[in-house]
Amino acid sequence: MLAPSPGILISRQLAARAHLQVGDEVTLATEPQGGRTATFRVTGVYEPTPDPMRFTAERIEARLHLPDLVALAADGSDPGDAESIGRINVALTDPADTHAFAADLASSVPTVVVRPASDFRESDVFAVIDRFHVAISIVTVVGATAFLLALMLIRAEERRETVGVMRLIGISQRSLLSSVAIEGCAIAIVGAAFGIALALASERAINHYFQTRYDTALVFIRVTAAIAVRAVVVAAPLGVGAGIAASWTLLRRNVLSLFRR
Amino acid sequence: MTPLALAWRATRQYRARAVLAVVGVAVIGALLFDMLLLSRGLLVSFGRLLSAEGFDIRIVATQGFARIGIPESAALVEAVRRMPGVADTAAIAVEAGDAGVGAAHGHVTLIGRSRASASPWRIVRGADLVDSAPGAGCEAVVDGRFPSQFHADVGGSVRVLGLPGGASALPPIDCRIVGVADFGFSASGERTVAMTMDALQRALGTTHGADAQVILIASAAGADPNAIVRAVGRLRPDVRAYSNAEVVEQFNRNGFAYFRQISTVLSTLTTVFAFLLVATLLTVSVNQRLGEIAALRAVGIARHRIAAMLFWESALLVGGGALAAVPLGAALAVGLDRLLRQMPGLPDGLHFFVFERRALVVHLLVFGVTAAASAAYPAWLAARLPIAETLRREVVG
Amino acid sequence: MIVAVRNASRVFPMAAAPVVALRDVTLSVDAGEYVAITGPSGCGKSTLLHLIGCVDTPTSGTVLFEGRDVAALGESARSRIRLTRIGFVFQRFFLLPMLTAAENIELPQAEAGVAAADRRARTRTLLDYVGLADRADHLPSQLSGGEMQRVAVARALANRPALLVADEPTGELDEATGEHIADVFDRVHADGTAILLVTHNPTLAARASRRLTMKSGAIV
Repeated sequence: MLAPSPGILISRQLAARAHLQVGDEVTLATEPQGGRTATFRVTGVYEPTPDPMRFTAERIEARLHLPDLVALAADGSDPGDAESIGRINVALTDPADTHAFAADLASSVPTVVVRPASDFRESDVFAVIDRFHVAISIVTVVGATAFLLALMLIRAEERRETVGVMRLIGISQRSLLSSVAIEGCAIAIVGAAFGIALALASERAINHYFQTRYDTALVFIRVTAAIAVRAVVVAAPLGVGAGIAASWTLLRRNVLSLFRR
Repeated sequence: MTPLALAWRATRQYRARAVLAVVGVAVIGALLFDMLLLSRGLLVSFGRLLSAEGFDIRIVATQGFARIGIPESAALVEAVRRMPGVADTAAIAVEAGDAGVGAAHGHVTLIGRSRASASPWRIVRGADLVDSAPGAGCEAVVDGRFPSQFHADVGGSVRVLGLPGGASALPPIDCRIVGVADFGFSASGERTVAMTMDALQRALGTTHGADAQVILIASAAGADPNAIVRAVGRLRPDVRAYSNAEVVEQFNRNGFAYFRQISTVLSTLTTVFAFLLVATLLTVSVNQRLGEIAALRAVGIARHRIAAMLFWESALLVGGGALAAVPLGAALAVGLDRLLRQMPGLPDGLHFFVFERRALVVHLLVFGVTAAASAAYPAWLAARLPIAETLRREVVG
Repeated sequence: MIVAVRNASRVFPMAAAPVVALRDVTLSVDAGEYVAITGPSGCGKSTLLHLIGCVDTPTSGTVLFEGRDVAALGESARSRIRLTRIGFVFQRFFLLPMLTAAENIELPQAEAGVAAADRRARTRTLLDYVGLADRADHLPSQLSGGEMQRVAVARALANRPALLVADEPTGELDEATGEHIADVFDRVHADGTAILLVTHNPTLAARASRRLTMKSGAIV
């Protein structure tokens, strides 16, 4: 009686592409022409962990037990090849020991690179992309601020006579300035809230589009509480500043000149 | 007075808001321009790096570009050399290594090159490798930062040790530095030492001919690279031959998707943003001048002239901003390019933002359409204005 | 007869209830006539002026301008009439703030297709006419209220209209300045242009050859 074929897991994408399901027998080969083959049985289908660096790649992959992979792929003429692996993942009982463990291991085995998975280096691809996004958002905010100022100028001009009347009847410049600042702040916060709502609405649509397009579970956009707070924190002083800047000349000009048509 | 002249006067009349609107459009436009540069920048830059090597076809062992030896590469090189339309070939092997000069040493990338008329690097100082007899002294060409890091320049000597698999008990070989070159695909933190294939084999301690990992082919003037690609495919179905265009297309499909996507998304967003902002500004401006506009209509100025005046106002604001956006965008692109090039492992010569005339044309077209679209609603407002009601409201208000 | 209004009514649909601004008005203005319409605020004076000035159309009845039914014309045709046959003077002047006095007067001439040299000559004549020859290059912000209104009158006369329509032309001016404007209207009338003006100013109304009083949307 033949020993049952060893089990493998295949990715959802491979299962769909090759019309495979659990229980099917498959032949894997290491060469395109079919050299060096082995037969396996599909014991499960898994969803590949989304990899942002490879989100466009079709995840046609399979997972084998290490001895099976070595037996299939190792170079028989190189005795060391069966002993070589690319990477070892380590889960610690206490994650707080991560950096100490990494440092100890690196000093003990200098020919390997030991790196905590949670490390985030300044030169990491995603750190660079994060800075890129921040730069773009700064540019966008600068452009929007120019427009905001222009609109606030128009609003201030529309209320020229109203401001003149208020100053004539004795309302202090300080009170007027405060009301302008509060109004600007309120407009900015409402605007930021609207922007956050728009971002939340588009988050789902954008993620759905790209997940469908690239057949991945990767999340492309996530609006977090920190981002929402940051939006409000940036918007509020801009609104206050724009309101005050736009109304400044109205509040400083000779009051009678505000009635001149 | 033409609608353009009226629009110009109106813009000057409300100078402060006009300047702010132009600044706003310029900043947003700079971002749009940069996204247009980014949309194909990497591809164009990558293509230029490939072309700069002087070879327009490359042969590798498998699909994709993993560094795997091409079986019987020497024989393949000779066969390819005899093909019609082939001007030059070079077999290349790349290995990790260690270089030392005096007390200084560090990791380097070793490149071995077989006999060829040209090398896939550009000599900036000194001379290129000379194809010498096997066993002759080792000559090396190093990258531009090597001399300052290792304190060894043309005429100096460097110890080279091949590290296949990461460790070696072999003695190093001494090479004489004959030239300093620009290696297009070397990363800024990467040091490169190029030598003949024979010298590399000695450094690696191999006694038989090592297989090249890439065979570069330069087609002759007037020859069709695709024909050579097909010929290689017929000769050796077990290897993969790609023209430079095909290499670029592969990277376009796999490697550059993120930047293409973000460029598309941001280009769309900035265009919509600019449209919304200018349309809002113009609409509010028109609402502020309703009495003026109603009076113009009352004295007989035709609707289409008032609409034309508003379209020209939009054109002046958006057009002025769009033109200012080009130099601003160019400056911004330099900064963003520098930022993105902090990514690890990027070739020194690779850029994300590359100027193409097409980007400028698209930029101007987009803003032309934006100017027209932004003025559409305010112009419609002005044209449809109920004159009597507006005049009455202006008096009462 | 320049203007003939026959049983014209104008109803404005409002959220609360329709407002009958003009009810069954009949009126005519002959060439060279000087007609003043007075009445309390909200009696429909300006509404009647707007119908005659081809700025609005009646809800019922007819308004004939030089024999043409205003309501039957499209907006382009009415606009042409306003440009070449009617001159409008507003209570709030409505000069374009970014154009000089001369340019404000040239604007309707340019719209009517008058050649540049002819425009400039006509503009100089009109500025002389209203006593502002030395203010040709001044912006409205550099003129007093009375001067702005004189420029507005000159603009209204730019294309030699058959009828000058004025809605409270002295409403924003002091008495003395209002008198100056009234003098200008007298000259215009003496030169043969028909004038139809709406005013609260009894002194100005007294200069007209025919005075009509309105109340609650009707001529009494």
